Amino acid sequence: MIGVGDVTTQALHAALSGLAERSRVTADNIANINTPRFLAGRTDFESALKDSLNMGETPTVSGGSVARSLEPTNTNGNNVNLDDETVIATETGLRYQLALNALDGKYSLLRTALQAS
Amino acid sequence: MGVFDTLGISASGLLAHRKWLDAVSDNISNINTATSTSQSAFKERFIEAQAVNYGSGEGGVRVATAQFGSGQGRVVYEPKNPLADKNGYVRYPDIDLGDQMAQLIMAQRGYQANLAVIDRATKTYQAALQLGKG
Repeated sequence: MIGVGDVTTQALHAALSGLAERSRVTADNIANINTPRFLAGRTDFESALKDSLNMGETPTVSGGSVARSLEPTNTNGNNVNLDDETVIATETGLRYQLALNALDGKYSLLRTALQAS
Repeated sequence: MGVFDTLGISASGLLAHRKWLDAVSDNISNINTATSTSQSAFKERFIEAQAVNYGSGEGGVRVATAQFGSGQGRVVYEPKNPLADKNGYVRYPDIDLGDQMAQLIMAQRGYQANLAVIDRATKTYQAALQLGKG
C-alpha cells in the first residue's frame, strides 16, 4: 500500500537521518584533524535498519551512536585520516542523494495519485 | 541536533585553523624582533586545539587557549644595536623558521579540508531542498 508513512518512506527517512548523522561525524573528524588526542568517530545505522527490515518491522528513525575508531594514532594521539574521511564524505553525499531520489520518486507517485481526479 | 549541523562543525574547524595561521604569522613577523637583554624576548605563540564536548555528540573544535614559549630566546652579540647592553648583547626570539613554515602548511591544509567539507555539505543540502519539487 502506498501511503505517507509506509515502510518504504520510513526506511528512506531512517537512511537519510543516519546518513546526515554520518556527514556530521565526518565534519567533526575533519574539523579535529589537528586536535591532539582526538580519535575519529564512526557511526553505523545500516545494521539496525537492515535488522528491522528483515524482521518485517517498520524502521524507526533514531540517531545512531558514535563509536571511536581504534586505528593507530599519530604521535599527537590523533587518528583522523583525511583520505578515509574524504572517501566517507563523498560516499555519504552520494548515498544521501540516492535516498533523496528514491523518496522523490515515492512522492511523485503520491502526487500523481492525488491529481488523478 | 540542528538542521545544518555539518556546516557549523566545519566552520569551527575553519576558525581553529585560521587562529593557528594567525599565531604562525605572528611568530614569523616577530622572528627578528630584538629586545634588550634585561627584557624577555618575543614569546612564540602556540594554539591549543580541543574537541567540543568530545564523545558526547555536539562536535566541532575550539581553541582552548594560547600557550607561549620561553622568553629566554637567544643572546646575540650586536654592539651597534641601540638595544645592546654594555657588553654588546641583544636578545632575539628563539623561533625556528622551518618549524613555523611546516606549521603554516599544516594549518593551511587543515583549513582547505574543512572548506572542502562545507562545499560538499552545501551540495547535499541543496539536493535535499529540491525534494518534492519534481
